[in-house]
Amino acid sequence: MKYIFFLLVSFILIQNTYAKNPVESPTFDDILKEIIKDEKYIFDDMNIKIKVPLFADNPIQVPIFVDAKAIKNAKKLIIFTDLNPIPKVIDMDLLNLLPIVSLNIKVAQETPIRALVLDDKGVWHIGSNNIKSFGGGCSVSSVASSDTDFGKLLGKTKGNIFKTDGVYRLKTSIFHPMETGLVFGNSEFYINRITIKADNQILAKIDAYSSISENPRFIFETLVESKDYKIEFFDIDGNKFNMDIK
Amino acid sequence: MKSLIFFFCLISYGFSNDFDYKLKPIKLAENSYYFYGKEEYFSKENGGDIANSSFIITNNSVILIDTGSSKLYGEQVKKQIEKITDKPIKYILNTHHHPDHFLGNSAFSNSDIYASEFTKNEIETNGDLYIVNLVNIIHEAMNKTKVKAPNQILTTKDLNFDGYKLKVLYFDGHTQSDIAIYDENTKILYASDLVFYKRTLATPHANLDKWIKSLKELEKINYSILVPGHGISFTTKEPIKENIAYLEFLQNTLKNSAKEGLDIYEILNKPIPKEFESFTMFSEEFERSVINLYPSYEKDLK
Repeated sequence: MKYIFFLLVSFILIQNTYAKNPVESPTFDDILKEIIKDEKYIFDDMNIKIKVPLFADNPIQVPIFVDAKAIKNAKKLIIFTDLNPIPKVIDMDLLNLLPIVSLNIKVAQETPIRALVLDDKGVWHIGSNNIKSFGGGCSVSSVASSDTDFGKLLGKTKGNIFKTDGVYRLKTSIFHPMETGLVFGNSEFYINRITIKADNQILAKIDAYSSISENPRFIFETLVESKDYKIEFFDIDGNKFNMDIK
Repeated sequence: MKSLIFFFCLISYGFSNDFDYKLKPIKLAENSYYFYGKEEYFSKENGGDIANSSFIITNNSVILIDTGSSKLYGEQVKKQIEKITDKPIKYILNTHHHPDHFLGNSAFSNSDIYASEFTKNEIETNGDLYIVNLVNIIHEAMNKTKVKAPNQILTTKDLNFDGYKLKVLYFDGHTQSDIAIYDENTKILYASDLVFYKRTLATPHANLDKWIKSLKELEKINYSILVPGHGISFTTKEPIKENIAYLEFLQNTLKNSAKEGLDIYEILNKPIPKEFESFTMFSEEFERSVINLYPSYEKDLK
């Protein structure tokens, strides 16, 4: 009897820790369903760390850092914000990348942010945090597109590689306005696809969205060693920008 | 019933009154005072009273250095000064273009307001933006605050206000134009935001190299009292050395982190030297500085 009681209590406890959404919001369920349909998920702030500023003073450049390396053999990493007009930030098919990413995003207002990580058993782990800001970041046109040298700079890339304990960190940035199309008179213009290769082996296929800040910068990590990492950026106008990081 | 009436009286009293900054001038020397601003970030509770402002009473007039974050603050500064002297506030100096130092200008209709050309231009272009931001944070205390740009441009090293002489020192680093005022009569140095005392340095428009250089110049001045922009006034050289040490620490941290390829949050996770961690507002200001400044250090890589 005691044993059953203990089992019941522990079962309820486990249920509660996993079932509870740590940051409530009205849109979360709908957005989640759109992305993962009816697949299994758990809230897992233990294994997914999302770093955000104490307060995001600049709503058009909010640095975020997601680290889910605690989840082994992660297959996918998706980031979205609950209350942005463009919720999705990035959708990474990890293949040979580690579940870690750093980038800057825009926020329209204070919003919860989520990182979804698909493990090798087909379960989605959801990490949450909240970005505090007065917002306004999605309804401003990019600074880049008002630059007169815009044409010359478009697609200009920079990259670096850092190796620590067998992990290769790729740091990259590209000059691009990442226009949302939400500002009257400005049409959408952003990088929507990124492919990362080591020599000719594909490390990751990534979908990107215009909620990423202009002149995007990224940190990616891989265990695959290479003398020539290649990153290809594609934007919605069909431009392709290639870079090599050696 | 009685208590209900009392309650309503209290409520209406609360609504009918403007925000009270509870300002008290602190005496530095005969005829020289400053108002100490709280070592906090802008908030509804402090009404934006987060920076120091100072005044000097001369034979014929009053000279005011910086005017705080709001019109109300400016008005209450005026009231406090009127309690001490009946001389008019004829001269105002804006040391730089940050909103906690000039938005009180609109409370002074008959004063000449002096600033460097850069500061004046920044106030004219970005003043309204600052107000919008602050209304979001401070609310009521910002009521009626409008941009009032300086009407006099500072160019000379010497000022003569009705016979009262002051030295103007032109620096940069905290912003692109920071002036310090040195009063040789009292040997008081009004350094404004070039110097912070036991309060973490704010860097939104900073150039660390230039700031360190400016501090080294300030250190050479033989002042008896230094009034910083934030934190209490002091008499020794130690605080300036401490400021330099902090800026050098910040700069080295950013440079080394860029070399190692660190992320912003990995920098923030690093251990902090004890002497700086005890500064007020450390975690907020340090994080802000790293977020603002790190991209320019990352750029130096290929």
